Amino acid sequence: MATEKKMGVDRRDFLKVLGISGAAATLAGCGNTSIESGAEKVQAYVQPEDFVVPGNSVFYASTCTQCPSHCGVMGRVREGRVLKLEGNPNSTISKGKICGLGQASVQIQYNPDRLTTPMVRNGDSLVPATWDQAMTVIKQGLGKDSVISGEEIVFLTGTTSGHQKVLINNFLNNFNSNNHIAYDALSNHVGETVRENVYGYSNPVQKIKDAKLIISFGNDFLGSGLSPVYMATQYAHFRKAPRGTLVQIEPRMTLTGGNADRWYPIRPGTEGIFALGLANALVQHPEYDKAIPDEVKQALQAYDKRTVGEITGINPDAITHLVGMMWERTPTLILSGATAEGQKQGYQNAYAIELLNVILGNVGKTITAPTENPFPQMNPTNATYQALVNLNEQLSAKKVKACLIMGVNPIYTEPTFVGIAKNLKQVPLKVAMVTQLDETAELCDVVLPLLSPVEDFGTYVAEYQPEGVEIGIQQPLMEKLHPHTKSFGDVLLTLLKERDPKNYSHYPDYYSYIREAVIKSKPVFKSSMTDDDFWDSTLMNGVLHIPVKESEIKEVKINIADLPKAEKAPADVNYPFYFVPSIKADLRDGRHANLPWLQESPDPMTTVVWDSWVEINPKTAEEMQIREGDVLEVQSSMGSVTAQAYLFPGIQPNTVSIPFGQGHTSYGRYATNRGVNPFKLINPITDEKTGELALFATKVQIKKTGDNKKIVKDEGPTTLQQGRKLVVTMAADKAELSKEV
Amino acid sequence: MIIRKILFVFSLLALIVASFSINAEPFKAGGALGTQTIDGYNALGPQVEQPIEFPHYIHAKIMKINCMYCHTYARRSAVSGIPRLDKCIGCHKMIPEVRDRPRIKKLFWYWDNHLSIPWKKVHDLPDFVRFNHERHIQRFYFQDKRPVREVCGYCHGDVANMTTARRVKAISMGWCIDCHKKDHQISAVNLKTTNGPHDCWMCHK
Repeated sequence: MATEKKMGVDRRDFLKVLGISGAAATLAGCGNTSIESGAEKVQAYVQPEDFVVPGNSVFYASTCTQCPSHCGVMGRVREGRVLKLEGNPNSTISKGKICGLGQASVQIQYNPDRLTTPMVRNGDSLVPATWDQAMTVIKQGLGKDSVISGEEIVFLTGTTSGHQKVLINNFLNNFNSNNHIAYDALSNHVGETVRENVYGYSNPVQKIKDAKLIISFGNDFLGSGLSPVYMATQYAHFRKAPRGTLVQIEPRMTLTGGNADRWYPIRPGTEGIFALGLANALVQHPEYDKAIPDEVKQALQAYDKRTVGEITGINPDAITHLVGMMWERTPTLILSGATAEGQKQGYQNAYAIELLNVILGNVGKTITAPTENPFPQMNPTNATYQALVNLNEQLSAKKVKACLIMGVNPIYTEPTFVGIAKNLKQVPLKVAMVTQLDETAELCDVVLPLLSPVEDFGTYVAEYQPEGVEIGIQQPLMEKLHPHTKSFGDVLLTLLKERDPKNYSHYPDYYSYIREAVIKSKPVFKSSMTDDDFWDSTLMNGVLHIPVKESEIKEVKINIADLPKAEKAPADVNYPFYFVPSIKADLRDGRHANLPWLQESPDPMTTVVWDSWVEINPKTAEEMQIREGDVLEVQSSMGSVTAQAYLFPGIQPNTVSIPFGQGHTSYGRYATNRGVNPFKLINPITDEKTGELALFATKVQIKKTGDNKKIVKDEGPTTLQQGRKLVVTMAADKAELSKEV
Repeated sequence: MIIRKILFVFSLLALIVASFSINAEPFKAGGALGTQTIDGYNALGPQVEQPIEFPHYIHAKIMKINCMYCHTYARRSAVSGIPRLDKCIGCHKMIPEVRDRPRIKKLFWYWDNHLSIPWKKVHDLPDFVRFNHERHIQRFYFQDKRPVREVCGYCHGDVANMTTARRVKAISMGWCIDCHKKDHQISAVNLKTTNGPHDCWMCHK
């Protein structure tokens, strides 16, 4: 009892203590007590360049590697530290602009969870090791005496291009293999295949600027599209007088949809049918009569307004209205996007959408052929979902003896039914090359810490080349921050040197490899500079540019068999809701969830931060008595996740959406155990023609769990005027003007 | 009951004031003349031990080297910067008679190992203050043509009489404002006077 009394603290004692320590804490942070003498170091350069002035910034050109659009960037460097990135005006892709995703790449560099030493598997866990130890493990499998060849070795990457890709292929050739598997969870392979088949080019130039009317079927070209920074500048021109009109047709409003003049919610998967409804109405007009063969015209008759309206859920009058607009405002441009392509009939949808471009005569006007790259070996790999399936087949056949993984996280992005984790574990040698440990790296035997994008050399070629061909040059903006990190190129060169000293021993490092390659390309650029000057000017410009070479789309092929069938999908009693996960422009497939700036920046449509949420239409929510913040269980036949409801008017009433990117189980402090991973809900439905995963074809059911949590968002109350009478309006006949004035 | 509460609040306030006076450095008239701070802080900072006991008095007083010969960035940048190491070596290579002195030996040790000298920062402002050397030097040295030792000395004291530098001015906000309030002649030829800026955003960006 006595002890208890001694230990007890009454309110007054507590406040006394609080008073003193509180005041002390306040004092420590104010006045000149925070002027410290001798607490920090201030060090000068030993022998700097003459132009270096401490406190003044220097800018170096480089290339952004955050997404495959590879914008040219400029890094602001002060006292040897990169502080901020800006767009590089020399770049035809970025034109001196940059997006938030690019800005955040400095956070890869300074991330507190960066991997700073190699890790080697010891039993169940990865333990820090030296480079010698790690390379010894790798060389046991892939050293000079290795007999691994052909399909026994796998190089798994995301989209790669430039010399990174060249080096990977050279490395694999050394093992008599071409088993470079490029996997992208959010691949746009369906659309590319359609455009390849229709126009002969997988990524023709889509001239947004020149169009007067754009009808986009779920193409989020301003947000998560193929080249959002370039498209945004083009879009700005498109919106200048005479102002172009943008119509967006999609099940869930994207950032581009939010910018559109007209937004039509459509039942997921029926985009192609709506496009054919438009096509049918168009060809009734004599002007478009001759645009397509008669047999196609015959086939289009099945897509009358009433049928199309019934299947797609769009008012049939919209077809009349849109056809009128198409006729008035030429040239037009019709775009197909992720939500139209990621369906069971994705290929057919995209095909029908491209058919509209053909009927409207856009080919050669707003859709033109891209310039050919004189260095085809540097062109980006076509990353697909199918690659993951192929890899899984190879792994389950237990032929693979070594697997190298870089720039991709299949364990996080694979849908549950693929089950690659189990098969990957059986591979005797798994090497991951990362800047930060993720779910896939955790499974590997050796994890090598790579330089961050602002510390490394490299060359990149973007998938979408709108103005000529641009080869982006990446150079270090600062010295490496962690002494035990290495360039990806250096790791491969070390292994190649051991196996093929004749061809590679004269390269001291990856830098010299790239330098020699760039200098060798000099004749293509018709430069009269010396080798050294050419290299220096290339680094200074940050880009090598091949000017536009006009070529025409020679032939447009239309195949009647590839058009979608006008059938209504049967209703699913167990899973009544369509599930259309959204692709966030910043987190993408979750690879950027480790960057706190991106976690912190509000989602453009909902303003939610740092979390996952379920978007549900307010009408549906009212019927089901769901309020904002109610924790919902979203269940598909593959699994279920729980997240808070967000009432979002920009979504179809029978559709729900969860953004991709969150729900990591290992990816540093900012990403781990935050939100849920919608990849784990995706049903095993693939596009019939290409075998790509139909990301937006899953059906789900939702249940209330009974919990309600406050959603963390920037937006105020959803009622008008923030719940306050900021602007009071009054009917004119009710107002007594003599009193009001 | 109310009286008890009031007493309680007063005692709490008294505690805060008391702890304030305990935690604040007591004022010591240790600094050079005119460094008394208006907000009651000690102008004299602690003696900081440096990796090399750099003798400012030899360079600035005996050799009469202009401050800006070594602190060359002061007139070009927000920070004055520590002189680059090759600047020290550039002169000292030409002065063989002092090469055997322990401090110079240390200097050459850093140079031979291509290492930067880990100097300690003596005048360290909090991160929310953006002091700009360039503006002050341009205004008072180049525009007003005042002697350089005086201009640098406004904030750094008479470094020419020190070995390693030591803070002798308060460098608190009140102290800065005190000087910004004074009438300063516009230039050597223009005898009109102005004050320094008082806008918060000048220093707190």
